[in-house]
Amino acid sequence: MEMFKPATLEERRIYYREEWDIKQVSDFISNSIENREFGFDHFGKGPNDRYKVFNTPDYLKRFLKSKTPFAAYCSVAFYEKPRRRKGWIKSELVFDVDAKDIPIRTCGCDDVCEICLREAKEIVEGLIDTLKGDLGLKDIHLIYSGRGYHIRIFDADVMIMDSDVRSQILKYVVGADLPKDKYDDDNGIYNLEHFSIPFGYPWVFTQRVKYAINHLTVDSKLEDVNGKLLKDVLTNRNLLERNQWGLFKTNIGPVRYKKVIKAITSLNMSLVDAKVTIDLKRILRLPSSLHSKVSMRCTEVKNIDTFDPFEDAVPGFVWERNE
Amino acid sequence: MIPMSFINPLSDEGKQIVRKDGGDLDRIYEENNQLIASINSIKSQKISDDDYIPKNYVDLVIKRIEWYVEKKSDSKNKFKKYAFLFDSKITKFDVIAFYILCQAVGIKFGPNSRESRAIVELQGQLIENRLEELNFNRRAKREVVQQVMNELIVEDRIRWTLLADLISSKKISLQDLVLKEGNIILDREEFMEHFEEMIKNRQPEKMYNIFIGDRIKELIIIKMIMQNTENYIKNVHEMSNTVEPNPTLLKIADEISEALSKEIRHYSSGFAGGNAEASPLNAELFPPCIKLALEGIKSGGRNEVIVLFLTPFLSYARLNPSVFGSNTTLKISDVDPDLNVTKNEIIPMIYDAADRCIPPLFDDQPQEKVNINAKLGFGMHSDLSLQHEGETKWYTPMGCDKVKMNMPALCKPDEICKRLKEINPLFYYLDKMKK
Repeated sequence: MEMFKPATLEERRIYYREEWDIKQVSDFISNSIENREFGFDHFGKGPNDRYKVFNTPDYLKRFLKSKTPFAAYCSVAFYEKPRRRKGWIKSELVFDVDAKDIPIRTCGCDDVCEICLREAKEIVEGLIDTLKGDLGLKDIHLIYSGRGYHIRIFDADVMIMDSDVRSQILKYVVGADLPKDKYDDDNGIYNLEHFSIPFGYPWVFTQRVKYAINHLTVDSKLEDVNGKLLKDVLTNRNLLERNQWGLFKTNIGPVRYKKVIKAITSLNMSLVDAKVTIDLKRILRLPSSLHSKVSMRCTEVKNIDTFDPFEDAVPGFVWERNE
Repeated sequence: MIPMSFINPLSDEGKQIVRKDGGDLDRIYEENNQLIASINSIKSQKISDDDYIPKNYVDLVIKRIEWYVEKKSDSKNKFKKYAFLFDSKITKFDVIAFYILCQAVGIKFGPNSRESRAIVELQGQLIENRLEELNFNRRAKREVVQQVMNELIVEDRIRWTLLADLISSKKISLQDLVLKEGNIILDREEFMEHFEEMIKNRQPEKMYNIFIGDRIKELIIIKMIMQNTENYIKNVHEMSNTVEPNPTLLKIADEISEALSKEIRHYSSGFAGGNAEASPLNAELFPPCIKLALEGIKSGGRNEVIVLFLTPFLSYARLNPSVFGSNTTLKISDVDPDLNVTKNEIIPMIYDAADRCIPPLFDDQPQEKVNINAKLGFGMHSDLSLQHEGETKWYTPMGCDKVKMNMPALCKPDEICKRLKEINPLFYYLDKMKK
């Protein structure tokens, strides 16, 4: 069996006509289909066929079965007049984690592989924890996109938020800002490191830094961190398993420690594709559609613990390729 | 007890004061003996110069602004001559002055003007300083903060999503809030319940005081009152479109604008990169992102870079480099009355960069020329002409935050960017210009 190979036109036909079923399209799309804009990529050159609207799932079904597109997309936005992208009502809040673009990967592959897909899932789990635990968001759907994950959020009060708020949410959940280390009250000023604060943003930040440090390799590139410093980080990182941050910082040296977390802070910004999160009018790959470039099915993840893309998102025709 | 309206003039109590005593706009220039008497009774007030004491409502409005302007240039100074602003004895007069101020600015300049933004900021700082002055009487302070907060927020728990407006306008940062399942933790008991056991090596009580204590509560009420002030100015502006504006308020608006602009004349350094006169552009002083953008965009995002990023930067760098340091709104024609500089220096530079894009921007998207005019404040027209000025807003240069998000490929910070904390590319230009 050959994975990650592009699907041929014939394979796309087999997929949409024999394997795909309109019922596999997530309810969150079917239930609001008349307010969404759809876009299609027919020739593998980008989604040029946009401004498409389907009033019922049945029309979408007929379209997909007859056109068997290279890729299918649907807006995160709900419009009064989706055909003209006018009358914006609200948009899902979205986080796009693409395995290929994760800043720190242990696999070192050129594209995507089992290892970085697993790492993408770990990152997604961390983000969802924060979205639920801190921000109290509840209506969260996870989609395997074919080469990464989309977190799609439907809580009513965030769907109407503008790009500026979304960008702050993004920075909060990924840990893209250095937390302040000086705090004051009536009695004076205190130096508090992020790792000594077990709540709020500093705590989220600590989790993200820990994840990053645990996934560094000797080949990792960190801004302003030289080979010697990277080596020291790798040697000492087992301390973080037991949350001995203070000792870790002392061993590295406070100034060098700051360099490391600064570099990680800027890497964190690319854990997710920021443009997708702040763009209220994005189109995202349609759940259940085929990602033809890698021959994987864009699939809603019902249970994140048991989901395995190599079991649950490989279309039938791929299994038959070498037989 | 501190009256609630001393902190929040938009509270029900404040509205009642206006209803009862605020009605007569014709008399606000008249000497008000009650006001003078109550200020003279304030012990900490400096009265060595008669000019320190406002004689009527309009005087009081202007004093508020003068305080704000002076404070901005010298934030440590306590300014004894303005002590009356921090004594709740003036509450009644202060509330009325607040409404006059907002109405004048709302009618004349509208909600998106620099004047309005300055007034909103003024109100925020005034409350912040008033609360600070109350530090000697902590109990009274806590009481009034709690009261104001109760009125502002009806629900028991405050979800962070309620503050979306404040977060969007960057008046509050999500990262300053302590959140648990969507609720902002403000209550001590609640804090302990969630975090006490997790806090190691430090006293949980102390952590509560540092992170939440009274500070975040105060921050939240200040920010909410600022937001409400902004909303109020917006409402006034919308109403003013349907009725004839009151000439007295228009006159006061001019006085307000003049008082705000004094800052530029007298205090010319220290804020937002300092001030500088309009002068010909020197491309060598441009930050890395602008230099890159001028070379033309070879991949996606051409429109954004040319229209939203380059156009505001080049126009402000050339004509109003100190925009972020000033409180007043300028139009291009205020600096470039016949538009010669705009047409002969700025537009050609923008068009050149557009032509260097691949494909050249105007080849497939000629309509972007209209959008460039719009961002310069000349409406959606294909010609740049004075008669259309003001139909759209002259866009201020995009901050580094937005650049990083929207056009990450352009952001290659150098040492100067880092020293200037990567706030706005214009500060880079100003900084180099001053050297």
